[in-house]
Amino acid sequence: MNIDSIISDLIFIKPEIAIAATLVLIVLVDLISPKSKTALPYISLLGIAIAGVFVVQQFGTAEFAFKTSLSSGMFAADDFGSFFKIIVLLASVFVIFFSISSSEIKSVNDHLGEYYTLMFGMILGMFFMVSASDLVLIFISIELLSLSSYVLAGFVKNTVRSSEASLKYVIYGGVSSGIMLFGISLIYGLTGTTNLYEINSIIQIQSFPHITFLIATLFITVGLGFKISAAPFHFWTPDVYEGAPLPITAYLSVASKAAGFAVLIRFIKITFINSIDHHGNWELLNIIDWRSIIVLLSILSMTLGNFTALWQDNLKRMLAYSSIAQAGYMLLGIAVLSDQGLTATMIYFIVYLFMNLGAFFVVMLIANEIGSEDIEDYKGLGKTMPFLGVTLAFFLLSLAGIPPTAGFIGKVVLFIALVDANMIAVAVIALLNTVVSLYYYVRVLKNLYLVQVDEEKPVIKLSFANGFVIILLAAPILIFGVYFTPIVNFAKNSINILGF
Amino acid sequence: MTLEIVLFVIFALVCLVSGILMVTRVNPVISALFLVVNFGSLAGLYLTLNAQFIAVAQVIIYAGAIMVFFLFVIMLINPEHEKRFLEYKPQLKIFAVAIAVLVFLQIAYIILFSKPSEGVSREVAASVKAGTIEQIGRELFTKYVLPFEAVGYLLLSAAIGALVLAKKKFK
Repeated sequence: MNIDSIISDLIFIKPEIAIAATLVLIVLVDLISPKSKTALPYISLLGIAIAGVFVVQQFGTAEFAFKTSLSSGMFAADDFGSFFKIIVLLASVFVIFFSISSSEIKSVNDHLGEYYTLMFGMILGMFFMVSASDLVLIFISIELLSLSSYVLAGFVKNTVRSSEASLKYVIYGGVSSGIMLFGISLIYGLTGTTNLYEINSIIQIQSFPHITFLIATLFITVGLGFKISAAPFHFWTPDVYEGAPLPITAYLSVASKAAGFAVLIRFIKITFINSIDHHGNWELLNIIDWRSIIVLLSILSMTLGNFTALWQDNLKRMLAYSSIAQAGYMLLGIAVLSDQGLTATMIYFIVYLFMNLGAFFVVMLIANEIGSEDIEDYKGLGKTMPFLGVTLAFFLLSLAGIPPTAGFIGKVVLFIALVDANMIAVAVIALLNTVVSLYYYVRVLKNLYLVQVDEEKPVIKLSFANGFVIILLAAPILIFGVYFTPIVNFAKNSINILGF
Repeated sequence: MTLEIVLFVIFALVCLVSGILMVTRVNPVISALFLVVNFGSLAGLYLTLNAQFIAVAQVIIYAGAIMVFFLFVIMLINPEHEKRFLEYKPQLKIFAVAIAVLVFLQIAYIILFSKPSEGVSREVAASVKAGTIEQIGRELFTKYVLPFEAVGYLLLSAAIGALVLAKKKFK
């Protein structure tokens, strides 16, 4: 590997370079003219737009960048990575919109430069995560994402409770990435390489002590399970989601989860694949029974998430448990171990992006007005805030999977993939879980509309910009709920992971 | 006796004595200082094994950065209270000794009986070359240049994050 090939490979990381340059630009602008805080979100949006153009341009490429050997490299520039980069960028755009109108973020106006810098640190980490095909780069990018999000989670409220949430996040995160690093070192010790493709070619011909290999991969799964907040690695989620400023909570629940899923899928598919048949079923090496492991994680996440959400009175906490359950649904798509299941997970992600961000945004706007996220305080809000009430109801129904919202389409595609793979029992459990989840989503609606309040509350007006953002989030759910061909095609075209 | 063996014996003795002194001191500050000596002699041992880079990293990271961190923590918490920690709970001492014996037996077993290095037939020359700073630098700036750059941003984020947290005021 010489300097020429490094320079020519830079073309594959153009989106990452754009993000990194924006990060530095934000630091510089904040240092040079500390007065121009209001310009920072727009600089961020510009950087994201440029990165977005580069990502879209990259669709269709399938090549290794920064090669470590003839047939493998550090970084895989492929459609699968680009798909998740699009998800991350879309989530970032919305979260920047949220941040502009969030009263929590306004209260720390002095530190706005650091806020956006750390956010770009998160984006950069996620960009490297979704394309990394080497365990070293995977670990470093996960750390980059984690360190930035630890700080952002405790960024705003100067209360002890919010700092406690941030500290909990650091400790749980530190332990889980330590365990993951231990797993990586075991795999390196066994195979002598950290590159996923090389590990795959080595374990195809050589046999290893089964128990050591199982422990090593399970340790890596712990680290990734923490990032996607799947049970039983979810303990940080409710506290952190409740303590963090709402835009960051929304961001953690969508973007950082998407990146974690991308790494998990790439890790399983690249490292353990033997062959793919013409139906798109993955024949994995039978060193590790991935299907059982993922089904177990998924059922645990769904059931724990949904049943614990039933008792929550704080809407942020309830949405945290709901996002654990949603991670469980999305894991099911991976458990199918086929391209069809992967497509289902990716479709679900597009839908989940809009509905989860939407729900968090409306909760944030209501909290800006009434200063509370308690479900009890939502009584009668359907009359005083008609637009917010209707849209919150819409987002929650979509999360529950009621037609004609896109949430229904996401679940249907997922269940079809499960039934096609003859995983009927799992599909039934998932279906029953959906019924349970309906109870707590509808409980909010009951408080919004059906509870009589004696006192008269004034009607609260919504600013035009915020209404526009809500419509931007709600329209895709409505459109894709009826006309879902575009997202299905988009997901189907993006499942190409490099190497197959 | 070659110079290598002489150096090994010296470093090993310093390592052993400082290790024992570290765990037997009552004052945590003195314990920490003996730990620095221990780390330094370990670095010497690495040098005799031809692992230059690990030796330098040991001095900079462990003896330097981590020990400063340790001393800061000892300074900030109240050591007078921690001194009597073992007096409150004498059972902990037995537990600690048991763990230490267990780890010792494990290492002794690996070195004396299981012979893990038997299957490895790497040439000594290759491993000597792999430990040099030149070789590590070459790998770092060619094969691992992308993770290296990512680490740069990781450190930038960490530094900014630390500043944000340090400036935070509690109500």
